[in-house]
Amino acid sequence: MVRARGLAVLIIATFVAFACGGSTGGSGSKGEIDIASDLPTSGADASSGMPTQLGAAFAVSRAGTVRGYSLKFVPYDDATQGVHDPAHGVQNVQAMISNKLILGMVGPFNSNVAKAEIPVANAAPLAMMSPSNTNECLTVTYPYCQAADGFTAESLRPSTVNNYFRVAAPDTFQGPAMADFALKAAPAGLGITKIAVWDDEETFGQGVANNFAKEFAAKGGTVVDRKSYDPKAKSDFHDFLASAKANGAQGIYVGGTSATGACKARGQMAGLFNPDIYYLGPDGIGDAQCITDSGSMATANMYATQGVADASQNPSAASIVAAYTSANPGSNNLGAYTFAGYDCAAILIDAIGRAIDANGGNTPTRAQVITALGQTKNFQGLTGVITLNAAGDQTTPTLQFQQVKPGSPGTWVFKSQFAVGGTS
Amino acid sequence: MIGALARMPSTLRTFGGSQVSNLVGLLIVAGALALTLQHVLQHSASFFFQILIIGIADGTIYGLIALGYTMVYGIIELINFAHGDVFTLGGYFSLALFPIFGIAEGKAGFGYVIPLLVVAAITMLLCGVVNVAIERVAYRPLRHAPRLAPLITAIGMSSILEGAMYLWRGPNSLHYPDLLPLTRFNIGPVNIGVKDLIVITFALVLVVVFTLFINLSKLGKAMRATAQDRDAAQLMGIDINRTISATFFIGAALAGAGGITWGLYISSVDPFLGFITGLIAFTAAVFGGIGNIPGAALGGLLIGLIRAFSDSYFDSSWTEVLIFGILIATLVFRPTGLLGMRVPEK
Repeated sequence: MVRARGLAVLIIATFVAFACGGSTGGSGSKGEIDIASDLPTSGADASSGMPTQLGAAFAVSRAGTVRGYSLKFVPYDDATQGVHDPAHGVQNVQAMISNKLILGMVGPFNSNVAKAEIPVANAAPLAMMSPSNTNECLTVTYPYCQAADGFTAESLRPSTVNNYFRVAAPDTFQGPAMADFALKAAPAGLGITKIAVWDDEETFGQGVANNFAKEFAAKGGTVVDRKSYDPKAKSDFHDFLASAKANGAQGIYVGGTSATGACKARGQMAGLFNPDIYYLGPDGIGDAQCITDSGSMATANMYATQGVADASQNPSAASIVAAYTSANPGSNNLGAYTFAGYDCAAILIDAIGRAIDANGGNTPTRAQVITALGQTKNFQGLTGVITLNAAGDQTTPTLQFQQVKPGSPGTWVFKSQFAVGGTS
Repeated sequence: MIGALARMPSTLRTFGGSQVSNLVGLLIVAGALALTLQHVLQHSASFFFQILIIGIADGTIYGLIALGYTMVYGIIELINFAHGDVFTLGGYFSLALFPIFGIAEGKAGFGYVIPLLVVAAITMLLCGVVNVAIERVAYRPLRHAPRLAPLITAIGMSSILEGAMYLWRGPNSLHYPDLLPLTRFNIGPVNIGVKDLIVITFALVLVVVFTLFINLSKLGKAMRATAQDRDAAQLMGIDINRTISATFFIGAALAGAGGITWGLYISSVDPFLGFITGLIAFTAAVFGGIGNIPGAALGGLLIGLIRAFSDSYFDSSWTEVLIFGILIATLVFRPTGLLGMRVPEK
């Protein structure tokens, strides 16, 4: 069933190549250092990948230089036929490795792409700084990782030296946090006791859905219906909805992303449920495409978690956020991970600067950049004060709840956020 | 194949015989029904009826698409893989036409019945024209080529149509406006939506009208004659090219209507929707007996029901296994399908 949609992809890729080709950089006397990015910036995933790339590009152009070296941003797109593709990501990383000017990369966006890229980048080695990967097994070896995902944090790192870091909170927090929020009585929570849980049969979707269901049941709620769907084949969700209703669900938690059709079911709820029925999900549904798919059901009773803090809640980030929005106007250019992308690029630049210092003002090796990156401490980012641990996680990542603000078009707005205990 | 069969011991050869294979087929069906019944009894009756209605709604739409596959196969023995994408195109054309006729979400009412029907008619016309053009450009020059050539061309046309929709409206799914009334009512334990009824009625009317057209009209007779024996039909004065074009036109018009109905029913369309939906409809056509028009409608209905029941009573991960298992089982045990294949008599 592999189909050739080559023409469309080729043309889109050409457009993207032209759109992203413009390099940014200031004038440095000592030479050039490149920062790459690997994000899905074409196709269905572009609605989340592109705003993130713009954030990273903005950080690089804002810095311009580091210790006398001029900085250049080199974006790569890991989408094939419009969807993030691990094999495409690996090709991009190989291209980055062969470009000696590239000292680190921002990305990838998706956990399954990270799983494929980390071993390749680790062997080089090349520093990776992901704004949005949330799979918990990428950084910490839990007992179930090998069985559930087919890898462990160690098996991804053949050199045994960690080269991969991220700012987003891992999935161990997303599912349970939403479960607690759903169970808690209003106004602190939603006061739901019976819920249907679905997933899209992907690593990410199934992971968050299972974590949600486990916590929801452990804290006294009832998962009345548990279903999985194949995103390629399922477009009519009426039967799933009928089942959820027959089982008395007060809401649905969907472990999935907009690209895997997680919000089409919300659009089909019209008439079958009251508009105030709850629809909850992970960061995968927290984008504009989800609101489009929801149609008239894009009501305030839709909630999503995001693995990063809202930069607009941080007063010291205000001027940079304002500069970004005036440079990239339009709601399409602002995603939940835009400023996480900015922070990733800024942290890389900071680490490269320290690596240059440590190397006596000369161009550092990639391994020296990785060492400096691992020593990132109390970095003043737009999404918070960031300290990275040896495993690659933030010591105290932040989890954010977002809610739909109905309108035409509706938007996801900040509801609340809190720091969660990171992995040591 | 026949040679290999002849070399087999006689006891084994009878296994390929129709009686034994029918028996095996029946046993599989009976087993599946028993398993379904066991699951159905665990849930309430009202849930059963609700799923039944969803299955019928899906099934009638699959039937609409399956008709196009079966007609084209009946007349030129080609599996038109682009047909599923013509169905998607129906959704895209109608979405583009809605604003021209002032149709938008939240404006439901009887005043919109006529504009909606006009949009449906124009969409059906446009889909018909596209499919006739495809036949003229891609299939007609290959009519006497080996059969693999037009088949590959059909797959190529499918990709071109998907690419065109991708470039036209982007890769994301588009929201299809909720235009049908959302009211629901109860008849005994059965909870029915007006939307379900409209979708089912619209699709059923088209299937019935079309079947009557094939059986009663002069063009329908010409189609059946061409399917039976192209050369003899030509000798009788039937314009073969015109008849084949008409077949493609009508099949695509039905698929276009299917695209609108599907959009109204599931509230979204995306460029690649037709791929899997087309494969399922094709399975329905084979299930009912490819080339057989009532068979396609029946096959569509059954596949729709199987899909809905499998998704809600079992695990949806198994639904495709089940549906394509039916395709294989039909081809192995009863290649003529439920109602019998119409094979051109040579």
